Amino acid sequence: MKIAVCIKRVPDSETRVKIASDGKSLDEAGVKFILNPYDEFAVEEALRLKERAGAGEVVAVALGPSAAQETIRTTLAMGVDRGILLQTDRLPADGLEAAKALAAELAPGGYDLLLFGKMAIDDYNQQVGPMVAELLGLPCVTSVAHLEIAGARGVAEREIEGGVEVVEFPLPAVLSTDKGLNEPRYPALKGIMAAKKKPLEVKAAALGGGALEIVALLPPPERQPAKIVGEGAAAVPELVRLLREEAKVL
Amino acid sequence: MTRQAGTAPFVPARYQPALPLDRLILTDGAPGAGDRTELDVLIVGAGPAGLAAAIELARLARQDGAQLAIGVLEKAEALGEHSLSGAVVNPRSFRELFPERPDSAFPFRQAVTRERVCLLTSGHSIPLPTPPTMRNGGNYVASLCEIVRWLGNEAGELGVNVFTGFPAASLLTTGARVAGVRTAATGLDREGRPLASYAPPNDLVAKVTVLAEGTRGALAQAYLEWQRIAADSPQLFALGVKEIWETRRPLDAIVHTLGWPLPRDAFGGSFMYPLTANLVALGLVVGLDYPDAGLDPHALFQQMKLHPLFRHYLEGGEMVEWGAKTIPEGGYYAVPARRSGAGVAIVGDAAGFVDVPSLKGIHYALQSGMLAARAIYPGLKSGDASAAALAQYDRLVNASFIMQDLYRTRNMRLAFRHGFYGGGVRAALMTLTGGRFPGGKSAVESDAAVARRPGAPTPFVPDGKLTFSKLDAVFRSGNATRDTIPLHLVPASEVPAPVAEFYSRMCPAGVYEVVHGTLRVNAPNCVDCKATDVLGPRWTPREGGTGPKYKRM
Amino acid sequence: MSDVLAVLEQRHGAVRKVSHEVVTGARRLADALGGDVEALVLAAGAVQGVERLGAFGADTVRTLTNAGFALYAPEGYTQVIAERVQAGRYGAVVFAASATGKDLAPRVAARLGRPLAQDVMDVGVEAGAVVVVRPVFAGKALLKLRVGGSPAVISLRPNVFTPVERPRAGIQESAAVAGSAGRVVTKEIKAAEAGTLDVGEAPIVVSGGRGLKEPANFKVLEALAAAFGGQAAVGASRAVVDAGWRPHADQVGQTGKTVSPTLYVAVGISGAIQHLAGMRTSKVIVAINKDKDAPIFKVADYGIVGDLFEVVPRLIDEIKKLHG
Repeated sequence: MKIAVCIKRVPDSETRVKIASDGKSLDEAGVKFILNPYDEFAVEEALRLKERAGAGEVVAVALGPSAAQETIRTTLAMGVDRGILLQTDRLPADGLEAAKALAAELAPGGYDLLLFGKMAIDDYNQQVGPMVAELLGLPCVTSVAHLEIAGARGVAEREIEGGVEVVEFPLPAVLSTDKGLNEPRYPALKGIMAAKKKPLEVKAAALGGGALEIVALLPPPERQPAKIVGEGAAAVPELVRLLREEAKVL
Repeated sequence: MTRQAGTAPFVPARYQPALPLDRLILTDGAPGAGDRTELDVLIVGAGPAGLAAAIELARLARQDGAQLAIGVLEKAEALGEHSLSGAVVNPRSFRELFPERPDSAFPFRQAVTRERVCLLTSGHSIPLPTPPTMRNGGNYVASLCEIVRWLGNEAGELGVNVFTGFPAASLLTTGARVAGVRTAATGLDREGRPLASYAPPNDLVAKVTVLAEGTRGALAQAYLEWQRIAADSPQLFALGVKEIWETRRPLDAIVHTLGWPLPRDAFGGSFMYPLTANLVALGLVVGLDYPDAGLDPHALFQQMKLHPLFRHYLEGGEMVEWGAKTIPEGGYYAVPARRSGAGVAIVGDAAGFVDVPSLKGIHYALQSGMLAARAIYPGLKSGDASAAALAQYDRLVNASFIMQDLYRTRNMRLAFRHGFYGGGVRAALMTLTGGRFPGGKSAVESDAAVARRPGAPTPFVPDGKLTFSKLDAVFRSGNATRDTIPLHLVPASEVPAPVAEFYSRMCPAGVYEVVHGTLRVNAPNCVDCKATDVLGPRWTPREGGTGPKYKRM
Repeated sequence: MSDVLAVLEQRHGAVRKVSHEVVTGARRLADALGGDVEALVLAAGAVQGVERLGAFGADTVRTLTNAGFALYAPEGYTQVIAERVQAGRYGAVVFAASATGKDLAPRVAARLGRPLAQDVMDVGVEAGAVVVVRPVFAGKALLKLRVGGSPAVISLRPNVFTPVERPRAGIQESAAVAGSAGRVVTKEIKAAEAGTLDVGEAPIVVSGGRGLKEPANFKVLEALAAAFGGQAAVGASRAVVDAGWRPHADQVGQTGKTVSPTLYVAVGISGAIQHLAGMRTSKVIVAINKDKDAPIFKVADYGIVGDLFEVVPRLIDEIKKLHG
């Protein structure tokens, strides 16, 4: 099986968000960067599928700055065979541009599966995977929480409100992975050593500016301290009224 | 929580289990490991000592046109995440390790321009003349986390393998020789059963293993105990609790204080350093031989921040990080008789290379790492990693400024064992006489052997703005250890309530609580400061990547 | 380019409630752009509830039917919607940021060669361009974006665009459309795993802390959760999980989950930093605590100071009355 996994280098979820002086981006001083957690499920699934098939290749593709090579190496340490970095210092706000660059790289690869994490924990855009599928004219299922592949067909399960959708699709296909799909492996020590010797190709990314312009990155609105509705059980009817009429949550 | 009036004093050592040598020392070849990896040199701990050793070794090999397989094991998930210090750094060892670079290339924040020493009372601060041992002209304020990440980068570029998330849990030995280490298993639940994420331990074997675990290193202790290597005095420790604040008002000097809020019979003081004018590192250091069992170092530190001296800077600011770590304070007489053996060398804080009066340890760590590398390298070339060959490391250290400096202040800390003012006078006389007063060597017992009076706990209600509870503080250490982790702390089988109370005050991270008179252990809170190992339940290595995630401590 | 296409969702032949929010958001945009709202729903036959949409501001409601459209058919839907957009003059195409919407919107956007602003909390028009605000970094910051060109493709975060009555004609149209469902076939919708709602997914979370005094007392919270009629999950603070009163899966904050429900009720929880970090992006927070100085009151929207063992039973009664 030949599988491509698209990964992203993202700030750790515990990052205290400081807005840079340009008012439009994250101040990266002291920020720890990690492999996007949703991409870990994609990498793990790719490795399992290749192991089950007994043969094949898993390729990690990242769009990002030079430091993303370290992120690719993490996947190589997990067992991915080789990596490709499409290098750019500024990722456009427009996910379609990212999708175009990735689609161009992936198109000639002859992959059976193209896996993505369902979304990146920095921008929460949740779109690049299905956009790539659209650009490549490939079938796509997103937010896959359970997967079975048999030959050239697959069955995926995805969570929707109040239920689980069971979806069938043919290969080759694009899938985006959700939490619960698998338990990603930690890189083994030997894997970390071997990763240094695996091929990692760096190319310049061909990116357009896109049609989404960042106007500002803003802190979330300050929460006002609580309106103390009253004391004791006697205050409950008023609370319920406020929740219903003012907050509109009941 | 009721306290029995007139409860008798107790000695913590009575309730301390012995170091579990049967877990910490294994025979090489013992079953239980998954992979086995062979290296030329294995270094345990990616702190300044371990990384300096790795860098110097890689350099020496490169000069010879040779290749060395060097591996550094680090228990934290990423470099620097378990590193914590004040810090004001003496740059000399950086200059020696990187002779071709200017000071501006080093990972320091700013040069020390002004410094102040004050004696605090509850409402005032009385300036004192800076003691000669504390003059920091020519030194730099720095973040140890940043230093470690920078060193790690340098090491990586020289081809050193740094394995983060891999704690060394046991030494592997062949006879009296250290053959390597076994790492901790991952993915076990509270009962020790494997979860889906289970990964077995790894064995790493090497010609030489360098133990650079930092303060109260488990394997270093185990080795010294196993080989019966003693020092003239037991090692003493202090606990430092530290925070980093983004401040509204700028700080332009490094500040050290003595006195309040520490009681007269406790040793220690505080520090406050500007990383930048508005990014301030501050902390309180308390010697762990304090006689009052009710003393709570975290609570004292929180109260200290309310003093006008500190409040002036902190008010309106934000606490961005919290952490804690012990510091070896025994000085010259507590350094083990030898820090090397067949297949092994001990560097940095793990060997006790810290000078208390000047509050310095980082450059000694770097220096000892370099010296270890220089002693190890010829042995690697000739295939000789025997105790005799590695004894060269001890000779190099003994002849270096490390031991010269420690010798000069050899009795300083011990002088304070008997009280602040008397200690202050003795310390002043020691400085004046270059260490020759009072002569001889002060007798001293280990911290755990010092009797504790059950006392009233330090009263403290956090305000959430300037002062914080232990649970809130632990959150700010970045600690997100999973709650299902196996217990890594080893208490005695019976811990009476007063002793449990004592633990709950001592631990800055709220690991210990007293519930219905019995000890409750919240192991996931642990930030690996090692105070527990000094005074209470023993600390053992746990799953990689657990514990704090310091960013700029 | 001033009309707005509002893409609705149906399940089992009935309009999903979230579609009212979509029409509301579309109406807001259409008013700013000076155009009409056309609501669109794809199904296998007639859809119940379409007649209600005029009330929320739909000028027309178009049902497009195809035998293969009963269940969500990503490729078939994408084709039809994209064709509809290309046939009109839309300034915006609006979806719900539901599970389906977040899958469908990127496909439509890419098919049209247009950018997608996903999971948006506010929409407007500035200097003729559509402007949106969306949460990033897990809600720790907001990103304001301007969309260049037309149409803007947007998905709206659920529970934000509270449906507002802004009656318009709501003219009903229906047509059969040709086309296949596509290569990706939804075979069925299975029920979610039986058992309690997950704390991370429930629209309402009722959380308990040490104030409950004993593990057995959590049944008072379970009763409160039940009073919300299957919408609520019971969460727990770190302290009670550590004490073994509740399973780790229920923990909110620190190594437990970050939750962002519509309504978060913190009962007997003082508000330690890590707990607050786990739930502060909840839409509405209610705190019940007998300590008026408890830190939780700083982040809560509403609070009652009192004995939870008196307040919660009263709350259960009042909620039941509401639903009854």
